[in-house]
Amino acid sequence: MIPAAAERATAPGPARHLPGAGRAARLAVRRLGMLALLLAAVFAAIELLPGDAADATSERGESAADTTLRREALGLDRPVAERFWDWISGLPTGDLGTTAHGQPVTSVLSGPFPNTLLLGSLALALSITGALALGSWAALRPGGRVDRAVAVASTAAFALPEFVVSVALLLVFSQWAGWLPAVTLTGPDGAPASWDMLVLPLLALAIPQIGWNSRIVRGALADQADLPHVQAAIIDGLPRRRILIHHMLPGALPAVAVSTATSAGMLVGGAVVVETLFNYPGVGAVLAGAITDRDTPLVAGVVVATGAAISTLLLLADYVRDRILGTTP
Amino acid sequence: MTASAPAAMTGRQKPSRARVLVRALPALLLLVLALAGPLLAPHAIDRPLAAPYGPADGTAALGGDLLGRDVLSRLLSGGAPLIATALAIALAVTAAATALGILAALRPRFGRWVERAADLAILLPAVLGIMLIALAWPSGGRLAVGLAATVLGTPYAVRVVAAAAAPIAATGYVETASAGGERLWYLMAREVLPNLRATLLALFGLRFVEGVYIVSIAAFLQLGPQPPEADWALMIRENAPGILLNPWAVAAPCLAIGLLAISVNLAADALAPARPSPETPL
Repeated sequence: MIPAAAERATAPGPARHLPGAGRAARLAVRRLGMLALLLAAVFAAIELLPGDAADATSERGESAADTTLRREALGLDRPVAERFWDWISGLPTGDLGTTAHGQPVTSVLSGPFPNTLLLGSLALALSITGALALGSWAALRPGGRVDRAVAVASTAAFALPEFVVSVALLLVFSQWAGWLPAVTLTGPDGAPASWDMLVLPLLALAIPQIGWNSRIVRGALADQADLPHVQAAIIDGLPRRRILIHHMLPGALPAVAVSTATSAGMLVGGAVVVETLFNYPGVGAVLAGAITDRDTPLVAGVVVATGAAISTLLLLADYVRDRILGTTP
Repeated sequence: MTASAPAAMTGRQKPSRARVLVRALPALLLLVLALAGPLLAPHAIDRPLAAPYGPADGTAALGGDLLGRDVLSRLLSGGAPLIATALAIALAVTAAATALGILAALRPRFGRWVERAADLAILLPAVLGIMLIALAWPSGGRLAVGLAATVLGTPYAVRVVAAAAAPIAATGYVETASAGGERLWYLMAREVLPNLRATLLALFGLRFVEGVYIVSIAAFLQLGPQPPEADWALMIRENAPGILLNPWAVAAPCLAIGLLAISVNLAADALAPARPSPETPL
């Protein structure tokens, strides 16, 4: 990424542009800084909740002295700022701290995280592919029957909560047709036992996102259609497919990249719901338990993971826009 | 990038008033039915009437739920609170976004802070934020969920209003009024606000859809309304284990939420001639 950015820097541009590598680094530092700020906010928010991890995890019949002992063992009697610093300074070494139950956060998350990552990235890939296909199909026939059908279907799909889609899929494909399993069984390695258990959760996550993204793709392509070079290509009589791929899609990429990053955030939310319904062994269930336990490091660990994923996608989106439009935000 | 393209190229004409009405009609009918629902319910919502997950019969048209309570009556009663909460969220977010968005357009330095706040908010998935606030305030119920949805939804909405208000803030008549010594609130309410009607109407529609989404997700995760209540999303969660015995106990509230979300979104879409923009940092 840095050599490409450096290559751009030799091109004449507005004076406020920093040299290439510096610009890429500045974008990355800005995203990192925002992630740290968000984590501080989440840490503070959990501290404001009534009760703490020592109370929340206390056993029945435990004396007040025992709870106090455990509070000290967990380090909860130290100031928030100090604990936050300890925790965030461990992050670069891959140390996410210790949960309220005394296990390392990384080991609690290491089992379910790959499962959620698999489900989430498949859903992201499916939603982008589907949205590009539907959006392009509609954009090539502005005002036509296909265009109107895609517009209505995508508007309808993105309004639906994931659990509604899940239940509909369950009723149709599992209950009535009997083609796919309704619940995910976990194999000995902690992953779903067979691939067909992934299909329904995947569709439930992807369908609302396909609706959202195909609207963005359709809109971005319509903006491209007005540009002089696309009009010139149409007058030259180039085939539609060629105009779409070579003249319209490249310019639409920045908008598509940003909406991908937005989708990633919505997929995390959807995963909590979909994983609950399909009994999928992912981060969602861990997260629900962590908040009831006031388990600050565990919740923060999940926020780090999702925030880092979204930051990376936003950084890529920044970079795509930078390459195509030649501007810095 | 919104609405700058001529309608002819994008294939979307500005919808006529009649077409808007036709597209908004199903949503309005559904809203009226859901709000009048509690009056139409044939049975009490909290008394067992059939066997648990009993099939549909003469007394219970849609069968019984996990405790044998009448599904139809609970369905008719479960919509009003959900819709009321979503409406309250949509109103609160639109009002807050209008004030802050116009202010951001008139005062660019404040506008940059708004942008940074929205950039930050995109990193926290909404469901995670709702879990935090709803659990911080366990007795808050629907109020806690509504508050969370308002706080989390406002940053994006402010960006939309600010983007729409920026060109208006740069017009000659606003600059003249500003140079003439008019106060800030006068500029906001009298000079800029009247020109934002279309944007605000569309924003309100979309925020209502978002409100339905968030309130139902929270109810599904059992963060808002608690079990004895008849709430569509809660009904789905509660009755999911009995989906084999009485599918209607799950399918009926599911259809209700689906129809509500789709028809309100189509209506909001009909009100907004502009195409959607990614509500994210651009």
